[in-house]
Amino acid sequence: MTAVAPPTTPSSPAAAPRRQGRTAVRSRAWIWFTLPFLVPFVLFYLLPIGYAIGQSLTKTERTGGIFGETTTTFAGLEQYSRVVTDPAFLNGVGRVLLFGVVQVPVMLGFALLLALLLDSAVARLKRTFRIVYFLPYGIPGVIAALMWAFLYSPQLSPIVGLLQDGGLDVEFLGSGTILWSIANVVTWTYTGYNMLIIFAAMQAIPQSVYEAAKVDGAGGLRTAWSIKIPLVLPALVLTGVFSIIGTLQLFTEPIVFRAISTNVTSSYTPNLLAYTTASANNYPLAAAMSVVLAVATFILSFAFLRATSRRSGL
Amino acid sequence: MKHQRRLMVAAMTLPMLALAACGGGGDEETAAGGGGGGSTDCAASDGEVTLNFVTWVPGMDQVVDMWNQENPDIQVEVETTPAGNAGTYSNLFNGLEAGTAPDLSQIEYDSLSSFRLQDGLQDISACEGVSEASGDFVDWTWSQVQLGDDGVYAIPQDTGPMALFYREDLFQQAGITEPPTTWEQYYEAAKQLKQATGAYITHFPQGDANWFTGLLWQRGASLFELDGDQVQVNVDSPEAQEVADYWQRMIDEDLVATNLQGFSPDLYAAWNSGQVASWPSAAWGYSTIRDNAASTAGLWRVAPMPQWSEGDEAAGNWGGSTTAVLSGTEHPAEAAQFALWLNTDPEALAMANELGGLFPAANAGSELPALQEGVEFYGGQEIFSIFTEASSQVDTDFTWGPTMTDTYTAMSDGFTAALNGQGTLSEALTDAQAASVESLESQGVQVAD
Repeated sequence: MTAVAPPTTPSSPAAAPRRQGRTAVRSRAWIWFTLPFLVPFVLFYLLPIGYAIGQSLTKTERTGGIFGETTTTFAGLEQYSRVVTDPAFLNGVGRVLLFGVVQVPVMLGFALLLALLLDSAVARLKRTFRIVYFLPYGIPGVIAALMWAFLYSPQLSPIVGLLQDGGLDVEFLGSGTILWSIANVVTWTYTGYNMLIIFAAMQAIPQSVYEAAKVDGAGGLRTAWSIKIPLVLPALVLTGVFSIIGTLQLFTEPIVFRAISTNVTSSYTPNLLAYTTASANNYPLAAAMSVVLAVATFILSFAFLRATSRRSGL
Repeated sequence: MKHQRRLMVAAMTLPMLALAACGGGGDEETAAGGGGGGSTDCAASDGEVTLNFVTWVPGMDQVVDMWNQENPDIQVEVETTPAGNAGTYSNLFNGLEAGTAPDLSQIEYDSLSSFRLQDGLQDISACEGVSEASGDFVDWTWSQVQLGDDGVYAIPQDTGPMALFYREDLFQQAGITEPPTTWEQYYEAAKQLKQATGAYITHFPQGDANWFTGLLWQRGASLFELDGDQVQVNVDSPEAQEVADYWQRMIDEDLVATNLQGFSPDLYAAWNSGQVASWPSAAWGYSTIRDNAASTAGLWRVAPMPQWSEGDEAAGNWGGSTTAVLSGTEHPAEAAQFALWLNTDPEALAMANELGGLFPAANAGSELPALQEGVEFYGGQEIFSIFTEASSQVDTDFTWGPTMTDTYTAMSDGFTAALNGQGTLSEALTDAQAASVESLESQGVQVAD
């Protein structure tokens, strides 16, 4: 913060102390402005993370029989070695990775396409469609999952019924299809949200760039490909990072679908497994899972940022 | 400036205070760990007492109103929550850790051990009238609340003795005039039904591991043995494997619906449309069918559970709850007194049966007038006499494991594979065996070889 010094150099030695005093006051002022953020951040973010890391390094020991007295002891990395060798956890990670590799590009492709279409549409439609595309994001995740669960249900769904009448026997919640049914829900929910971020970036492109392109004889497609997409690349990367984080934390749709489908196990996604483990009172193991998941998310997000940094400029 | 600095210091130490509070909670917990298990005295409190009671039985607040009017000095406040495994148990465990748990809670039999393991239950055997009440309840329920030692950790509330709900009309259409009395007959009936009507005889619910456990219970499979120092895990015993193999054959031959989750709208739709024709279920299941398959009124009947050998008389149990006094209560005597009244007083039992559909665990409960009458939805059949009889046939030695959640989870996960043809129910039991052992060890409990 002291870097925000006035651009003028001190004109006389006598003025210096006074100025320093003022800078000192100003340098403390940032604390007051950041406190409303810092206090909850420490209380509800850093502290729980620290607590989880602490817990993940412990285990429960018991003396005096089955229902005897318990003590929590330091266990080093025992829980972590359990997590990284747990086939259920690894299967869950593999499942969400497969999910992400397919779903994220599809969703971002859609979002980009919609943003481009919206950007080229006439002003009146722009406003309407922006809201229409964004609407699914406004529906709470659980409600959206419940609604889709109804549409996928083998007994109640009007879609399944129609397809059956047409001679097509589709199982949306079957063991091979349910992952992609979930992907569909996630795509439906977040395409509009991502579209809005990309669209906003497009709006920031200066008009002069378009004019220059026009003078050079570029048509609509050419402008989209050579000007709009390269210039919104940072926004695309940003939505990519958000999507990677969201994918690894997949939880709401599987747990809602579990109520009607026989194909969602307790370890379907790593997040669901951590939840199941915590519900069974195995807090140290659940904490270790959460930490591993968080670290994996960090690594993936930063690897993605790095891989794209040269082109996106982020 | 000085003033500012002080504020700053205060703001910065806040998080540390919170950290210290966390540490304090931990210490307290270990201290309680020693006290809760050992103390058995049960002194009455002076003056007026207010107790908090967590339950998910519909209408329980009205039963409690009756108590509150008669006992001005012991007022009970009801907190109605979702069912135990739908989040309430997690909340209770958190509350026990934080010291904010209620005085009393509804806890299902299969979860009592888990609560005892987390030191969440108060031994009320020394409280007035508790030990004397042992004869007032159906035999097996009392051994369930003792958890293998001399203590009493809860008062039995209701039970779920199992019988077979079936669609008489569909069975008759398929030429089955008498309900099956053995599981072999049930299998034959499944084939006949499928052929004649296209209906599945029942559904195999992937999520209801406790339903399957009820079937294991009937077969005489004892999943766990607690001998004080260590736990013996027998989840994949030969008896249990026999039950698994039986249902595996039903799945392999496509005689049971494999894509219907228990208690789902899809299942109810299948009941209504006659695609599923029976349900081996508990006494409380009568209202599940009645309320969710209204279009089939009058078509269902109840028969005793099919047996593993002709002429046997064994029943399983699925569900049922207790009223437990949680450790950390300041008024164990009053809490125990209320729990006893709630589950033995004839008026309270009648009301809980009428409003909540409870099938009482108290012996006196089987004499409730409502349980002697014919039930219209079941064509006027006196269905409760069958459940009362089943209740007396439930194996009293059946013991739950102290980490039942993990056992159930592993079973259900294995069921998923079996229902998809990627595994078998027998493998599900093997997995559940391994998961139970691992889970017990993670809680520091010794497992017998």
